Amino acid sequence: MTKTLSRDLIVAAMALAALAMLPLVFPGKHVSDFVIRLSAFAVFATSLNLLVGYGGMVSFGHGLFYGLGAYSFALLMQKAGVSIPVAWIATLVLSAVVATVIGAICIRLREIYFSFLTLAFQMLLYSLIIAWTSFTGGDQGLTGGIPRPSFLGIRLDDPQHLYLFCCVVMVGSLLLMRHLVQSPFGYTLRMIRDNPRRTEFLGIQVWRIRLLAFVVAGVFGSVGGMLISLFVSSAYPDFAYWTISGEAIFMILLGGMGVFLGPILGAAILLLLNDVVTRYTEHTALVLGIVILVFALGLRKGVLGTLNDWLRRRGMANVAKSGQAKAVARTG
Amino acid sequence: MDFEALLSCVSTASCVVTQATGGLISGMLLFLVAAGLSLIFGTLKVTNFMHGSLYMLGAYFAYTVYNWTGSYAFAVIGAALGVAVFALIFERLFMSRVYCADVLMQLLVCYGFILILDDAVKIIWGAEFLSMGMPATFQRPPVVFAGGVLPVFYLFLIGITLLVALLLGLLITKTRMGKIVRAAAINPTMTSALGINTSLVFGGVFALGGLLAGLAGALAVPVRSLVSGMGFSILIESFIVTVIGGMGSVAGALVAALLIGLVRSFGTIGFPLFTEGIMFLFMTLVLIVKPSGLFGKER
Amino acid sequence: MLTIENLRKSFGGVNAMNGVSLRFDTGSLTAVIGPNGAGKTTFFNLITGAFKPDSGRVLLGDEDIAGLSAPEIVRRGVGRAFQIASIFPTLSVRESILCAINAHRHWHANWRHRFPLAAAQTAAEEALELVGLTSRANALSGNLSHGDQKLLDIALALALEPRVLLLDEPTAGMGTEERWQMIETVHQLWALKKMTLIFIEHDMDIVFKYAQTIRVLSYGTVLAEGTAEQVRRDPRVIEAYLGAHYKEQPA
Repeated sequence: MTKTLSRDLIVAAMALAALAMLPLVFPGKHVSDFVIRLSAFAVFATSLNLLVGYGGMVSFGHGLFYGLGAYSFALLMQKAGVSIPVAWIATLVLSAVVATVIGAICIRLREIYFSFLTLAFQMLLYSLIIAWTSFTGGDQGLTGGIPRPSFLGIRLDDPQHLYLFCCVVMVGSLLLMRHLVQSPFGYTLRMIRDNPRRTEFLGIQVWRIRLLAFVVAGVFGSVGGMLISLFVSSAYPDFAYWTISGEAIFMILLGGMGVFLGPILGAAILLLLNDVVTRYTEHTALVLGIVILVFALGLRKGVLGTLNDWLRRRGMANVAKSGQAKAVARTG
Repeated sequence: MDFEALLSCVSTASCVVTQATGGLISGMLLFLVAAGLSLIFGTLKVTNFMHGSLYMLGAYFAYTVYNWTGSYAFAVIGAALGVAVFALIFERLFMSRVYCADVLMQLLVCYGFILILDDAVKIIWGAEFLSMGMPATFQRPPVVFAGGVLPVFYLFLIGITLLVALLLGLLITKTRMGKIVRAAAINPTMTSALGINTSLVFGGVFALGGLLAGLAGALAVPVRSLVSGMGFSILIESFIVTVIGGMGSVAGALVAALLIGLVRSFGTIGFPLFTEGIMFLFMTLVLIVKPSGLFGKER
Repeated sequence: MLTIENLRKSFGGVNAMNGVSLRFDTGSLTAVIGPNGAGKTTFFNLITGAFKPDSGRVLLGDEDIAGLSAPEIVRRGVGRAFQIASIFPTLSVRESILCAINAHRHWHANWRHRFPLAAAQTAAEEALELVGLTSRANALSGNLSHGDQKLLDIALALALEPRVLLLDEPTAGMGTEERWQMIETVHQLWALKKMTLIFIEHDMDIVFKYAQTIRVLSYGTVLAEGTAEQVRRDPRVIEAYLGAHYKEQPA
């Protein structure tokens, strides 16, 4: 096991321990609900960052997988009466297949065409969900809740079990994605982000790597959808609406695109912001829009990215050497 | 899938006429919005992701002006100009700052504005669906053609859009202004070095795009209901239109928009669940076979 | 090693390549010169798969590679460095070389292990030594000086251990002193690796000093070929490109 892999595992273990103890320190639904919602978004936003931050592929339709994951999992549990692990794996497989097909079409296009085509596919799913009322419940969403048969001794109808389950899935997914990003494959992605032409001239079939990245991102994106569907015990068309994709992109920007933990921080900040704003006004969109503008026009590199730059300028070599900050210091 | 319904419609002249005109006006509105989008992309190399919001503003402006003045003509002109001014301000104050940044920033600036405008509309006009009804001038008996019913307003809409399309095409290809716009699109640095104020050109193009979107919104008000967020679906469709027609081509946008309008109109009968899907299928085919679009130039 | 037969390519109405036929012997060091617009970079683009030729053959050894994609051609042993250094700005110098080595050994899609792979590291250090970038190994590629970026570009191409290496104006944009250093480095690399080296160059002093043979392109055709002596005296070349004063200069 290499040094960095063991370091990541330690960080993950510590994070998991901290999360597990959190409800003991802050009892009550509010904090644990926040963490569960965060888990869904953190995984989703990080999966999008695989494409955007590491691969240079700005997908604006990543919400497709969020919605697909939610609906697929919820429908399988409701209608097919399978166990949770089976529904989980089936959803992952479905997402992989869908991602392969859509990816194969979209990858061939560059830049803005790619962005828009992915968005178009997402809206296609959305309109399908809205129209197919008999199957999906239309614009009301799925009614009837999600059955939660126990598996391996885990009862997801128990709030504590659900909380721990979501934390484990979040940390596990992030760990896997982290490993991917730090593997040779991850660096090939960075090469393609920086200079696809040169990558071709190094003998690499760029489209293959891009497609692989797209599929992986899609699969992890649907994990986020599954987590949120477990939380709300349903699936709503909103999960496939374009705003999910927009919010995810903003989370990435907010936290810092070139940093692995950036999207997670961005997700936390955005969720907090939403929660705070909803307490004072119903015009959350207006406030969010203004915040987005401030960041897009001002703090371009996001919180961690700007922090990173500031640290670099101050020449804090010690900070750069310590484990956690090493992840921060890497521009990608 | 309801082939029977589709077949029975296609075999009835009146149904064909009604659906076709419905499709045509959809297509015309779509063309106006798509033409603006295409123009902005062709010249500034920037996708105005909030273009749908300009359409929405045009609709709401027209609604308000009509309620104040009772004149639909004022409403249309007021809306078109109002949105043009708004678009110019947006471009100068916000968009121009992210021209050099990557697509992500541009998308985000637009996303921020969509959110702000959607909520602003809700605050000012309310969140319920609004309807203006047919303006007084157009409350005439409809034209009957081959058994199908053509409201006079439809003819007006089609006519005015074709006129605009013609003017646009002439403006771009025949006038000096058009040449300047094309030059600035191809090489802004050089054009600027030749003493032409490229910021003015860019602002002007954005304003023109806004004008077209605002016009579309104003024209849509009698036949569509208004609601916050109504701009988004037309944005997606406009993009599909520009992809199929070819970015930067006015003729391509017209053909593609009409195609989409008709497909949607007849598609809702035959494939009620999958109408959107047919559009995407078609777009995907075009992207695979001729990525630069039907009328587009190979890059 | 590399035989070009009747290569043709036109873009729209412009004949960029008009039936060019050339031979490059194994292990030779050839300079390709000619006025701007002569088609030199197009020539490179056609050989390396950036463009597909309209007609003609490009024989690498015995195999016709004309029409293959760039990655396929690269895998068959054709390396290339670019006129404007084509590198990976956010990766460090060492990381870039490691990535190139990964590509060469087909490890680039490996997801089981962490980067950098232990097996690639020795090769990376050697590659850095060869071009003299060891002292700047940790620098971000994007922050390197122009000359260092060009060195990196060459190092990336070399990481794939090409049989044929194409350098597009290796000394472009450099000062006089730097130029000679660069071409000297290139020459040493060529002697060490014993590969077929073809370079495009505009500095005639460099060309006449280092190139074994010279090919002159003009308007998409071969104007002349031969040794330095032959080419500098060729009246067509003088007229099209060199100008009279080169005829009189000593070697």
